Amino acid sequence: MGVLLLTGTRKGLFLIRGDDERRSFEVEGPLLPGWSINHAVLDPRDGSIYACANNWVYGGTVQRSGDLGKTWERSEGLGLPEESELKLASTWHLEPGHPSEPGTLWLGGEPAVLFRSDDSGASWQVNQGVLEHATRDKWNPGAGGLITHSIALDADDPKRLWIGISAAGVFRTEDAGASWEPANAGTEACFFPEDRYPEVGQCVHKLLSHPGRPGRLWQQNHCGVYRSDDSGVSWERLDGNGLPSGFGFGLALDPSDPDRAFVIPEEGAENRVTCDGRIGIYATADAGASWNLIVAEEPAWAAVLREGMSFDDEAVYAGTQSGHVYALRHGEVGEAARHLPPILSVEAAALQ
Amino acid sequence: MAVVLLPGLLATEAGGQKRLELDVATVGDALRALPVADLVLDERGEVRSLVHVYVDGERAHDLNRAVGEKTRIQIVAAIAGG
Repeated sequence: MGVLLLTGTRKGLFLIRGDDERRSFEVEGPLLPGWSINHAVLDPRDGSIYACANNWVYGGTVQRSGDLGKTWERSEGLGLPEESELKLASTWHLEPGHPSEPGTLWLGGEPAVLFRSDDSGASWQVNQGVLEHATRDKWNPGAGGLITHSIALDADDPKRLWIGISAAGVFRTEDAGASWEPANAGTEACFFPEDRYPEVGQCVHKLLSHPGRPGRLWQQNHCGVYRSDDSGVSWERLDGNGLPSGFGFGLALDPSDPDRAFVIPEEGAENRVTCDGRIGIYATADAGASWNLIVAEEPAWAAVLREGMSFDDEAVYAGTQSGHVYALRHGEVGEAARHLPPILSVEAAALQ
Repeated sequence: MAVVLLPGLLATEAGGQKRLELDVATVGDALRALPVADLVLDERGEVRSLVHVYVDGERAHDLNRAVGEKTRIQIVAAIAGG
């Protein structure tokens, strides 16, 4: 089966179609020209494409296409209630809901907000539990703003999910979003001068749940790479096991093996470029106990953003801010696209 | 009847319409009647900070300003971005 890489850039959305072997790719686009696509995803339940399309003049939107990008509809009524004294600044990540809930979507945005739709994006309801969270006054924006950028579903229970907010940390709900508990125990907030392990305030860069092992979470944080085997109750730090840096954004998993994960470390918070003058994908096959370097390009100085990595059953994909997309399969790296606009996101979907 | 002129991206979002004729009483009514009202106005109904509205060639800030038969409302994206 081939792959469709929904590749969001600062200048529109590109659809990259790859063959069964992930060796040959064709690029279509840009779709939605004029829009900056923080994230786009194909809903496997009905084949719709959703894009978090933003424009610095016209704000944040969600665009939906039912015909693989030929035509688009914009969600209306997306905004925050007046009593919150907040306005929606941008949309960041759209996650199709649990397979048992067709039509349900989750949307993360700025300033640290979460929305739910139960009608395939025609209308959205803001999540009050996040909007009015008791710790909200302790949240601070990162370089990308105060954003809800990660929405991780539980493979079994549609009422359990996790969100990642920069820089507030990870939060878990067991009741479909009615209440949220911080899930940051053991993760460092290395930018705080004193209390480096607070309840909230951590800068999670990307959070993923493994689709085949409920309760196993991975996160690439501002201050390290972590894994949890207990739904985020506790975290084990992994970047000291062979990564050149704990700082990075992208994160990918292997759906068939919960012990395999992939990151692309960067030099550090003050020098956000891939380590050691190359684009290095670091892979673990033992749940983070060790890491192996796979060189995608050398010499090279690049950056992969928080939504810039994705994966499917066959390969791992990474898109850079310099407009290149790489595909890693069986230890070999190939090029899927080059000279695209700066890449904000890559999301892999099965190509029917 | 007011004439509203849309810039390129808004025209695309309006189904390709660059020029709309609207039977409205005020500038605000005209903006709220647009098929791209949510892109011009935020969730409070306020003009987005980088959207500039010109009425008959002059920058307009008062959404309650009355419009007449030949009023021409032009929406302009501010010089910004990258």
